Amino acid sequence: MNRPLIVSALALAIGGAPALAQEDMVTRDRVGPADAENALTFRLTAYDLYSSDEATATAFEELFIDFIEDNPGWRIDTQLQTGNLNQEQARMIEQAQAGRGPDCAMVDSSQLATYKAAGVLSPMNEYFTEDEVADFFPYVRDGITDDAGNILAVWWFTDLRVLYRNTEVVPEAPQTWEELKTAALETVDEGYEGVLFNGGRTEGTAFDWLANFWAQGGQLVNEAGEPVFYEGENRELFLEAVRYYEDLVESGAAPARVTSITTYDDMLAAAAAGTTALFVGGNWMYAQIQSTLPEEEAAKWEASELPGPTADQRATGTGGWTIAALTDDPEKVRMCAAIAKLYLGPGNAFQALLPTQASLYEEYDTYAGPEFEVFSAALENGQARPGVAIYPEISNQIQILLGEVMSGAAEPEEALDAAAEAVEAAYARQ
Amino acid sequence: MTATSAPRRAAAPPATGGGPAPARPLPWLLPVLFFIGLFYLWPIIDALRLAFTDASLLDREANFSLDAIGAMLGSAALGTVLRNTAVFTLGSVFGQLLLGLAIALLVVRGERNNLRGMLVLRTLVLAAWVIPGIANGVIWQMLFSEAPFGAINSTLRLVGIPPVAWLSNPDNAMMSAIIATVWQGTAYSMILLYAALRSIDDTLYEAAAVDAATPWERLWFITLPELRGALLVNAILIVIMTLNTFDVIISLTGGGPGRATEVLALYAYNTVFYNFDLAGGSVLSILLMAISLTLAAIVAMFLPRSGRP
Repeated sequence: MNRPLIVSALALAIGGAPALAQEDMVTRDRVGPADAENALTFRLTAYDLYSSDEATATAFEELFIDFIEDNPGWRIDTQLQTGNLNQEQARMIEQAQAGRGPDCAMVDSSQLATYKAAGVLSPMNEYFTEDEVADFFPYVRDGITDDAGNILAVWWFTDLRVLYRNTEVVPEAPQTWEELKTAALETVDEGYEGVLFNGGRTEGTAFDWLANFWAQGGQLVNEAGEPVFYEGENRELFLEAVRYYEDLVESGAAPARVTSITTYDDMLAAAAAGTTALFVGGNWMYAQIQSTLPEEEAAKWEASELPGPTADQRATGTGGWTIAALTDDPEKVRMCAAIAKLYLGPGNAFQALLPTQASLYEEYDTYAGPEFEVFSAALENGQARPGVAIYPEISNQIQILLGEVMSGAAEPEEALDAAAEAVEAAYARQ
Repeated sequence: MTATSAPRRAAAPPATGGGPAPARPLPWLLPVLFFIGLFYLWPIIDALRLAFTDASLLDREANFSLDAIGAMLGSAALGTVLRNTAVFTLGSVFGQLLLGLAIALLVVRGERNNLRGMLVLRTLVLAAWVIPGIANGVIWQMLFSEAPFGAINSTLRLVGIPPVAWLSNPDNAMMSAIIATVWQGTAYSMILLYAALRSIDDTLYEAAAVDAATPWERLWFITLPELRGALLVNAILIVIMTLNTFDVIISLTGGGPGRATEVLALYAYNTVFYNFDLAGGSVLSILLMAISLTLAAIVAMFLPRSGRP
């Protein structure tokens, strides 16, 4: 090898070493040195460390590298969850029960009750002070603790449903169901599709719609966790909310195609294409609108609280993700709690997600925007899904019921009776 | 193998004298039996076992019980699901058979006439087959989108045809699911029938030409009778594959609107992953298998036997 070539190779090796080392610290299945003494398996979703958005992925890589430097001797073996939420979460429970689950994992807040019931979560009490626990929103605190007060998971971000509108077409935010129908019909007259929302077979359909049931004071389950949405006063409130959606479609205020909408991306696409001026979406879509639409167009879109049957009756479904320890090893539980805190603070702030601790809204500048005033006001009427294992089937039946009613295949009463029968049968077998 | 074993038999004839050595197939079949048993029979036996328990994904303990069988077979939704499954399977199987046959006839005819582009045509049809079911559903969801910018409806509007409610109308949604499945499965059917068509003796067509048979008569009296075995085998395979299909549907309609496109395979999936009901899902899986076997047996009865015309 000639001398200049050797010099070049050495220069490249010396100059490139730090970059290569950094890159090597985060791979598709690992964070930290491959030969680390201790390993923690962490099953996560694809929206942060492995996000397709380069800026998000880079920010989380830096957070995780700092984390590993603060915890020498550790390596995190990462496992990506698939996008099929129900299947993924059910499979993880089964793996955990068989002792083959990850040490630490992201668990959807709607599934947390199922994990608690299965007894696969390890308490993280000693890693959170009383003040930190008290700082969680009440519905979050209730969701993550068991009857003995143990912290079984960290609900690291929450979300909520709001009504988005193009203020150029709909200047005033509709406050009631009737106002929304009127506003939507006016947009139809102007050539728009009307109001869009999830109406297909997806969790989003049930969850978005449930706000209308909850706003009237309806309850899905009683204190014992038994399904009661089809009985007594709940039945009438439930049917009122179903008829509201039915009327939106029948009147033309919402297009019939809502029964085939199964992702929020469909609404974003319609907003970007300028075919709708109203849609029900998640709070995270505000940032997506800003990044997807041209600046001038994005500025026209505003979020407001979901309309209620009256202006005083409001609710919004609050979801989000938790991080939980599925191992009995105390050191791994400690690491899992530390990862959860990483997401809870700086992770949330970078992604502008909604933290579940009140103090974090003051701590980070991210939450100074006017949209967060709308979100925090709407959170006052936030309602989490019931923490019971029958919820996924209740949701499934609501999706079926709404699809049948809105497509004209069944009357609300008939559809509710069928849903009640199916839920009762499933509950009896759990 | 045959070349080396034959002389050995000749050198040491069996004691009974004359004829080939008694066949000992078991050692040769053992590896196959082992792997089939491990990967096919064992899951079936396990599903059968689970069907007679109260197994749940939430509880590792499972006790013997007939409740799951009663609950699943007595479910009010099962009738709708079975009807959906029948419509979906019939539509998909006939669609795949007819289109597969049409394309295979077209390709063979084109090749006989030395037309250019036949290889490209075959490759194009095969391209649909290699696309995973989930991706197929997503592709057709975009095509069938009823948004003002949906691909097919936009094209229809351009030529003055009103848009179609492909996915939001319960009847149309089933038709859309069948179209997506036929689009993907036609290639498999085409390949099987293409191979069978190529094996038909040309002299039959030459004789038909001498008799001045019309193209329709050639198809009816020569091609279809000669293809009978291939068509039936094809039908059996497509029936089984279609009955097990749920990936296209889950990504295209999710089973909706309502239950309009929920087929048995998807219902079993939902039972396990929404209800966590492992026993119930196993009952439905066994039911699905029983239906597949029954239909396959019925079709197999019409297969030509050796020695029969």
